[in-house]
Amino acid sequence: MSVVQAQPAPLAEEAPVSLWRDAWYRLKRNRLAIFGLCVIALLAFVALFGPYLTPYDFLGQDLEARNQAPSLAHLFGTDDLGRDVFSRVVYGTRTAFLVAVVVTAIALVLGTVLGAVAGFFGNPFDGVIMWLTDVTMSVPNLLLVVVINASLKTPIAQWMEARYLETLNPFYRETVWIDFLLVFGSMALISWPPYARLVRAQVLSIRSRPYITAAQALGLSNRIILMRYVIPNALGPLIVAVSAGLGTAMVLESAFSFLGVGVNPPTPSWGNMISDGLRVWQHYPHLLAAPAAVLGLASVAFSFLGDGLNDALNPRGSK
Amino acid sequence: MMSAKTEKRLLDVKGLTVEIETRRGPAVVVDGIDLHVDKGETLGVVGESGCGKSLTMLSLMRLLPNKIRVAKGKARFDGRDLQTMSNRELRKVRGGDIGFVFQDPMTSLNPVMRIGDQLAEPLIYLRGMSRKQARARAVELLRLVGIPGSEERIQAYPHELSGGMRQRVMIAIGLACEPKLLIADEPTTALDVTIQAQIVDLVKGLREKLGMSVVWITHDLALIAGLVDRVVVLYAGTVVEDAPVDELYANPQHPYTRGLLASIPKLSDAPASRLNSIGGTPPEPGRRPEGCPFAPRCPLAMDICRTHVPKLEPISAAGSHRAACFAVEKAREAA
Repeated sequence: MSVVQAQPAPLAEEAPVSLWRDAWYRLKRNRLAIFGLCVIALLAFVALFGPYLTPYDFLGQDLEARNQAPSLAHLFGTDDLGRDVFSRVVYGTRTAFLVAVVVTAIALVLGTVLGAVAGFFGNPFDGVIMWLTDVTMSVPNLLLVVVINASLKTPIAQWMEARYLETLNPFYRETVWIDFLLVFGSMALISWPPYARLVRAQVLSIRSRPYITAAQALGLSNRIILMRYVIPNALGPLIVAVSAGLGTAMVLESAFSFLGVGVNPPTPSWGNMISDGLRVWQHYPHLLAAPAAVLGLASVAFSFLGDGLNDALNPRGSK
Repeated sequence: MMSAKTEKRLLDVKGLTVEIETRRGPAVVVDGIDLHVDKGETLGVVGESGCGKSLTMLSLMRLLPNKIRVAKGKARFDGRDLQTMSNRELRKVRGGDIGFVFQDPMTSLNPVMRIGDQLAEPLIYLRGMSRKQARARAVELLRLVGIPGSEERIQAYPHELSGGMRQRVMIAIGLACEPKLLIADEPTTALDVTIQAQIVDLVKGLREKLGMSVVWITHDLALIAGLVDRVVVLYAGTVVEDAPVDELYANPQHPYTRGLLASIPKLSDAPASRLNSIGGTPPEPGRRPEGCPFAPRCPLAMDICRTHVPKLEPISAAGSHRAACFAVEKAREAA
């Protein structure tokens, strides 16, 4: 029959252009975004290979050379204990990236799953999850983090010490990671609601598209439809949110460390370095300037990249 | 009915009623429809926009959107009750026994998935094929629906294909699991005329090749003349006429069917003459008139039409041609 004879319309002979390649093409032409990307790449490199780049130990004190101004020997000078500020800033970059990536990853997974379930399955899930989101968002971030840190840190530390005295197991003596655990936990707890809201809104709009009905008509299960049809289509705005979220998480970590509820000294964090530097900035401005400048640079870089991604992934939104 | 007759029925719908929930209470959109499809038969379902064609078919697969639900009625497919079967069973029917081709090929394909993967998906998840087997089958299916260079084409994203191509892909997906019944919901509405004819030819050929039944939903009576065996005409959620296709064209009974046929432009019409149309619009859901729903637009309307609802009655000796109209009944009695 005419099955074989049917003459299909001619197709354009262009190479296939995928959504992502298209977006990359648009991103490349955005100078600010590329600047942001380069800065982030550099900081990420520094964070990954920090220990091999720094000439000094970040904890090594040289009491002979305290409060020195920047020089060739100490690029960013030294602090009041004679520690090399450059090494500490590098290590602070590690802290910032570690916290930002882990916190954003937890918040993203939590927010995406909750938002997708709320949007896709509707009530009663939607009601409960959105109520939870609203409640979390209504508590001031700072307050929540302070409460968590103040109420949990001491008991855990005391418990660890008791365990150590009981067992003499060196595992219980190391307490730096409690800091990190609490920072990760409390920051993830306050960071997931925006992701959940975004994903829910996306899913609500995607759920009513014809290709979802078509997938249902194919007999695919809800799980497959959610994973293969709904979430991939919601990814564009999510990527933008993640890029902005990483920057926010870094600033947030610095803010908490600055206030003494984040990463505690002697572990270097940009935040606690700024806090230390602020006390003596009139005499030794470099102690404040170095960590503050790097924090500012990182924050700006993530904003630029987020903006650029937004334009690249929503071609209709840009001019 | 004799048992022999019920056995050749593939799809049997009885008294199907679909309601929309509104602020003023439920509004009936599909009102007690009876229809059936025999094995190997092609049924055309015809009617204006908004008369419940698509909702009827979606309700069979329990794919109705929120706030729209089946109020009563039975739908049996191959001897099994579609309305009461478990979700698990239903998923098997959706993917395996009934293929669905949707109206708009532009939006009915997942934009971020390569068409090869979309074709392979039901084969992998429902038929338990390996990725490699599914891929080979996807290439085969694309060739079957007349897409050239199918080995490369399975790598394409939907936006890289033209509308006609996408509708071919949709048909290929509908055929992936070799369904016994293919439901095509206005598959050509979004396409231009030459492509429409190609798609009709394609389905015609595939039907013969695969021996499946087809339900073709359309508002275009002319398009399906050469494709279907039997036509069911819907108006405002009720069946107003049901006849073999040749009989319907030669001898339309219901004033609505006549109006539809008269509104097809003919070559013999005087040049630049006005196109015929049926005055007015179908009733909105929730505002159905008492009596025959077509009465307000009907040139033959009598008093009884505004108070009583006509039943679908056989008008030929064989009983294969049925219409629901008091005027037709009266004319037959007078003759």
